[in-house]
Amino acid sequence: MAKRLLQGNEAVLLGAVKAGATYFAGYPISPSSEILMAASVYAASHPEFRFLQEEDEIASANAIIGASLAGAKSFTATSGPGFSLMQEAIGYAHKLRVPTVFVDVQRVGPATGMPTMPGQGDILQTRYGSSGDYTSIVFYPSSVAECYEYTIHAFNCAEESESPVILLSDAFLGHLNEVVDLDTIQVPVVPRTLEPLASGHTRLFSGVATYPDGEPATADGDEFIRQYEESKALRLQVAERYAFYEYGWNKDSDTLVIAFGITRRIAQPLAPYFALFRPIRIWPVLQDQLREIAARYKRLVVIEGSDGQYASVVERVLYRDVYRVPLLGGRMSLEAVREGLDRIGLLPRELAETAVS
Amino acid sequence: MSYKDKIKTDLFPTIWCPGCGIGLIMTQLAMVMDELGLDKSNTVMVTGIGCTGRMGAYMQFDSVYTLHGRTIPVAEAIATVRPELNVIVVSGDGDLTSIGGNHLLHAIRRNPRITVLCNNNEIYGLTGGQTGPTTPVGTKTVSSPAGSVYSPVNLQGLVNTNANAFYAKTTVYHQGQLRKAIKEAIEWPGFSFVDITSQCIENNGRRIGFPSANEMLNYFKKEYRQAPPGSTQLAYHQLGIVKGTPATAEPVPAGAGSGKGSGEA
Repeated sequence: MAKRLLQGNEAVLLGAVKAGATYFAGYPISPSSEILMAASVYAASHPEFRFLQEEDEIASANAIIGASLAGAKSFTATSGPGFSLMQEAIGYAHKLRVPTVFVDVQRVGPATGMPTMPGQGDILQTRYGSSGDYTSIVFYPSSVAECYEYTIHAFNCAEESESPVILLSDAFLGHLNEVVDLDTIQVPVVPRTLEPLASGHTRLFSGVATYPDGEPATADGDEFIRQYEESKALRLQVAERYAFYEYGWNKDSDTLVIAFGITRRIAQPLAPYFALFRPIRIWPVLQDQLREIAARYKRLVVIEGSDGQYASVVERVLYRDVYRVPLLGGRMSLEAVREGLDRIGLLPRELAETAVS
Repeated sequence: MSYKDKIKTDLFPTIWCPGCGIGLIMTQLAMVMDELGLDKSNTVMVTGIGCTGRMGAYMQFDSVYTLHGRTIPVAEAIATVRPELNVIVVSGDGDLTSIGGNHLLHAIRRNPRITVLCNNNEIYGLTGGQTGPTTPVGTKTVSSPAGSVYSPVNLQGLVNTNANAFYAKTTVYHQGQLRKAIKEAIEWPGFSFVDITSQCIENNGRRIGFPSANEMLNYFKKEYRQAPPGSTQLAYHQLGIVKGTPATAEPVPAGAGSGKGSGEA
């Protein structure tokens, strides 16, 4: 097929369809709504693909869990405030071990915030947003072609890890139009493994702690830990097969820039001056790769669209200080990157001169 | 086959208190399931949080024990993906009409083919007997010590905002009528809601003057009356079934959602 101009949000829908998704439920919210609209248009000519515009994000998140249990690969798409409303259901999907995909096209929060401006402030919410302990798997592409590619990976990984996988995007990436040739992206699709409801079993899919026979296990710590460790081990093991990252730019520099999603694209002019580490699998943290690569560099700089959410994770993993360049208030631009580097005394002279001219 | 085959009797005794009304619903539901040939290959149960939610664990079906208030979105999605299945929601009045109220409102509008059995004990039983949206005005509970102040939610009125929907009012005392209501609800080709007044002796009845569950059942016997045949609206404490016009069973247009028709008669 020929090259085409495609938007990041539309690429997510196409990736989902390619991965075998047959159910979408969602609620309109900027800047993710193109996914919902594209899903409704796709459903109109593909009866096997079911679409429901729900009354809210709570219904959407629970509906995709029900649809997945019924046998459909399912997904939803939202942004910060809606993603917050979905957190309880995400914990529920973790507890049930249901494969499904949540897409979060980030904007500037908290609360209603700046609905059309890009942000990256949901990094920790994707890991710790629901109550209790669970093991999240999260991917964050940085181009339209990658929106397509990693949506397929997200569905595959959800099937293998038996968990809700999160695909991060942002207002900038979701609305970015780029020329892509999707036929050059070949990702094998992992088929469904979970036996659908009404296959002749009497299973109990319970958010409450229960024994395998359905009896309440609400006061049995040993049973809780057994189930928790089993789920955690499966997710960590599967995540190893999805350890996507990019390491490049000027590897001989003494400074390593860490940036992901659209921020890595914005920071492209830094390529001659710094090395780059871009995690694509945001969670679980790529700690082995990060430790090995970071050890080669004198300085680490995390450039991100939040006030240090990922920087704090890097510091915790590496036990060393990092420089921070937070891009706040939707100011995700090269100018903001320059200002941030200048503030910490790391702006390359040539870039400063370009800025002046 | 016997209705007992629908129940996991090996898990007995249940967690329900002696005198609880939920078991009376489970028995009638199992009998109807036996009569209609519902089994684990054609039926799914979806239950909410509250004492009633445990029913799914005690029955011989795949069962989804949802988050608090979220039975309806889960059930509707299952019915959408697998329209051939019987999807039966069993939950309490607090779960369905309070925290899940918005989903109820919109499921009524969309008219998916799901059956909702509401164990209506007029309080939050599992959490200790607090007032809820179905508590009658004046009822003293642990969170309304001077008596509940607000009018109960009008479930009949809500359900009947869709002219295609099915609403039944019954009690656990009126077992024959309860069974008829459950049966017709499951057979209904759209959204059906069975509002079942039931007793919570431990966390409500005793506190409002009933010495035992038996007295509560006798109260239902005395207070509730059958509505005249053909009633299109049930008065206070009237029992009956108010059926709308069944939505046509034509295939749903692709992309039109999961519903079977609009509320326009």
